[in-house]
Order: sequence, then C-alpha cells, then structure tokens
Amino acid sequence: MSKVLMKGNEAIAEAAIRAGCLNYFAYPITPQSEVAEYLSWRLPEVNGVFLQGESEVAVGYMIFGAAGAGVRVFTTSSSPGISLMSEAISYLCGAQLPAVFVNIMRGGPGLGGILPSQADYFQATKGIGHGDCRLLVMAPASVQEAVEMVMTAFPLAEKYRNPVMILGDGLIGQMMEPVSFPDQLKTEPSNKDDWASNGMDHRKRDKRNLVRSLFLDPEQLNNNNLALRAKYERMKQEEVRFEAYNTQGDYSVLMVSYGTMSRVCKTAADMLKAEGIEVGLIRPQTLFPYPEMAVREAARKSSCRAVLSIEMSMGQMVEDVERSVQGARPVQWYGKCGGDVPTPEEIIDLVKRTLSPM
Amino acid sequence: MADTLLLNGIVIIVGNYGSGKTEVAVNLAVDQHSKGKQVRLADLDLVNPYFRTREARHALTALGIEVVLPAEGWLQADLPILVPQVAGIIRRPGDLAILDAGGDGVGARVLAALGEAFRDTPEAPQVLQVVNPFRPNTDTVERCQAMRGAIEAASRLKVTGWVGNPHLMDETAPAHIQQGHDLMRALAAASGLPLVFMAVADGMRPAVAADAMACPILTIRRQMVPPWRRPTPLPGVSISK
Repeated sequence: MSKVLMKGNEAIAEAAIRAGCLNYFAYPITPQSEVAEYLSWRLPEVNGVFLQGESEVAVGYMIFGAAGAGVRVFTTSSSPGISLMSEAISYLCGAQLPAVFVNIMRGGPGLGGILPSQADYFQATKGIGHGDCRLLVMAPASVQEAVEMVMTAFPLAEKYRNPVMILGDGLIGQMMEPVSFPDQLKTEPSNKDDWASNGMDHRKRDKRNLVRSLFLDPEQLNNNNLALRAKYERMKQEEVRFEAYNTQGDYSVLMVSYGTMSRVCKTAADMLKAEGIEVGLIRPQTLFPYPEMAVREAARKSSCRAVLSIEMSMGQMVEDVERSVQGARPVQWYGKCGGDVPTPEEIIDLVKRTLSPM
Repeated sequence: MADTLLLNGIVIIVGNYGSGKTEVAVNLAVDQHSKGKQVRLADLDLVNPYFRTREARHALTALGIEVVLPAEGWLQADLPILVPQVAGIIRRPGDLAILDAGGDGVGARVLAALGEAFRDTPEAPQVLQVVNPFRPNTDTVERCQAMRGAIEAASRLKVTGWVGNPHLMDETAPAHIQQGHDLMRALAAASGLPLVFMAVADGMRPAVAADAMACPILTIRRQMVPPWRRPTPLPGVSISK
C-alpha cells in the first residue's frame, strides 16, 4: 500500500482497525485525544463501536466486559488516565483477559504537563495494578513502529490472555511521519472458546466459561497466581525485542534508551562518530520483558567503559539497566522530565563528561 | 510561470489537521519579510498541543517578524488562549498579517469568534486552505471540498484560494510533488478558486523546474522538527531555535 502522512495518534487508531479491533472505549486526554477523535468517525465507517465513557474508571470496566465476551477491544489514554484504569487492568490480569492499552505519556506526577515524558515506566513495567499482575509492554520509537506494535499487540494479548500495553511518549502520538499499513488481520481471538463468556449457543463444548478474578480458596488463588507467573516467565523467554545500534565494532560508552529519546541518542551517536568517538546503543522495544541479556552482553564488551541510561524520567529504567549489567560496568542515569526532550548536544556533552575523568 | 509571490493585508491560513498550515505560515512570513514587507504572524492554533508556530518564535523574532502569542508563562497551558492583540491586528493589519488557525473545522472555529473584528477590517481577508494530498481525508478533490465546507461553516468565512503542500516529509520524491500539483489544479478547476501557491521543501527545489507549476512556489525550510532534528536554517537568522 502507498504511504500516507499521519500523526502517531491517528496511525495508532487506524492500526487497531487494521488489526481487526472494532471496539474502542475511551476518555479524551492530551496528548492522545486524536485517537478518540479519529475513531469517532472512522469506527462507524467499519461498523465498529466507539464509546466515550464517563471516566477512565468506567472505560476500564467497559474493556473488561468486552474482553470477557471475547471480542478484540482497546483503549488509549495518557498518564493520569492510565492511573484511573489501573484497577481494571489488575482485574483483567486476574481474570486472564486479553486487551490492549495505549499510554501516550505526559509529564507527571499528578496533572504534570502535556509535553512528552517517559515517567510511567515503573507503572507500566512493575506497578500497573495491585496484586501480582504484569503487562507485556512495548515501546515504539517511530510512527511506523507504533503501527506495527499495535497490530502485534492484539495477537500477543490473546496468546497470553493478558493485557498488552503500548508505551509511547507524547511525541509518538503528536509527530507526523509517513506510514504504510499491512493488510487486515482477523477480527476475533482464535482461542476464545476456552474462556470467553459469550453464550452457549455456538460453543463446541459444554463447559461454562466464567470470567472472574475472585478466588477465595487459598489453593485456587495460589494456583491462579502460579499460572500467571508461568505466563510472565514465558513472555521473558519468547517476547524480548530490542534494537542494537552501532554495537558491531568497539565503543567506549553504551547508551540504553527507548522511544523517541532513543532517536535523539542515535543522532548523538552519529555526531560523535564523526568526531571519532564510538558510542553503542541498545534500544529496548519491549520494556517487559526487558532485554536483560542484550544490555548485559553489550555492557561487557571489553572496549565499553560505562553505561548510560538515558530516559525522560527521573531515573526509572536505570534500575533495570543496573539489574542487567550486574555491576560489570558503572551505570549512570541521565534524564529530564518537564517536557523538554534532551537534545543531541546534551547527550554528546554527557558522553564526553563520562569519558573525561577515566 | 513562477510569478513572484506577493501578499498583502490579512492572510488566514486554514486547512485540515496536519496539512502543514504552521510550516506554511512561518515560511510565508519569512518569505514576505525578505521581500521588504512588515509582517506579523499570529498563532491562533487553540487545538494542537505540539508543533505550533510558537516553536519558531525565536527565529522569527530574530528576523524582525512580530509573533503574536499568549504570554511566555502560558505557552504550554492546555487551554484555548486567544490574546486580545489579535483583534487589533485584524483591524490594522499593516503590510501583511498572517493568522495561523488550528486544524479542521474545530480549529477554524476560533475565526468565528473574531467575526466582529473582521467586519471592521479595511479589506476582506484572504483565506487560504492548505492541502497535503498525502494526508488521510484530503487525497481527492471531493474530500478537499468537503473539508473546505467544514472549515467555512465553522469559521463563518469563505475560503478564497488554495495552497498545495504535497509531501511525505523525508520520503518525498519529485513524483509526489507532481501528483500533488495535478490534484491542486483539478481542485482549483472544480472549485473556481485560484491555486495561490505551491509549497516545496528546500531540498526538493532543485528537482522542481521554476516553470513546472501554474503558480508561484514558496520554499519551505522546515521549522517544526522533532528533537533529534535541527530546523533548517532561515536566511538571515543565526540562531535557529
């Protein structure tokens, strides 16, 4: 298909439709409201359902209801809205229901600001809701990658019967880039007979499906949590994705960065290369599961003297970088979180300062 | 017949969301200023949170172009702020006042709120609708006309001409510009409104013959860029951001 020029938010909306998701419930919030605006006219064209909820709390349970009935469903929001949905996300994990959540992050905490941020890293990867719940989290760095990740997210959510989150910073939603869309996928989860609560009429088996996250019996609850843990461990085995940039040869510093921040780091790496300073970059595309092995191996390269975790937060992903590097090299955080994205020049200065005292 | 582009009075830039209004407005201001005009540019985009005229304010101010914006402390407020100076500019536009409206009908609605000022203005404003045929929803003559209808209904102003801005950012090829020019000519014929100018990125200018188009060409030096890119330097400006 020929390319069109789209905002990230518009492209995310269209990608969900191309992935066969025709159910969208949401509540608008800057900087992702264009998703809702786009789907409000686009979903009726394809006989889909667009519904603006009265709040993000309500939206979370609309998602639960639709997912429990076995249809593809998704929502989009930005940081404070995701906080309001987090209770329902925990219920979805507990009931093992597939759904896709897109968080186009803005500055926080609280109302924060409307400019780009990556400060919901902990929330997405470690603390999305109460209980032992986890999301599979993907972080796009371009509009095209956002399209691909949205289209991948639905089958992955169904594979694991678990919510999947696309974690983009505000720029991913707001910037425009040329995109193309692959062909349409299937509309409905393929394995839903085993779990969807959608009536007995057309079901192959007699077993009644019950959607629930309540297990009062301690053994049952423990078993449910063991089943969830097994899924999260399987994600770690099968779903890790990352991009390595300029890591073939020797480099003196390894940068770890994701989302649009990583594109600033790439520009900085190219500019430093022109000055004769080699810097490698690992860009996690999945944040949970985290590309621990890739970061560890890249950090342990003999030429590498330090590792920098560069993020639009006050030091969140750096904990996963430290965990991955396991003390083999010094790890340092650099970031900003007001909405001004660090510039390539700032990253160049940082790299030079990191190398100077050594 | 690449005539010289000369505009006077009030020029309102409208268009669908993401058509390139701001980039066109900023570059038009620079172009007309370089031709000796006193130029003022007002950011009326109340709907878009990122990539607005205000991003280019330092470069424009350095050139001597007056940029009318909410006060510095309110630049990132998620609020529809319309500063009172805009009505004054409409009443006394000077050589050239460019108003950069927000996208679609929604973004153009602010113009209806200024209706009283427009009634007092010495000359009727020129309302130019920017079209990038590589955006969804404005890829055919019919859809461009539908967008025009929505903008006219919301703004209570009539579109007076077209601006072609065909591009796919860094992936633009000469064929895209040609394709866009063809659509703009068809649109001009169907609407009875003139194609006032075509906008072409500076990097593509060598590939476009000066006489290839039925209208003047405005060179676009991209100012609305993501943080990993530098704005294209403007002639006569040493700082670019």
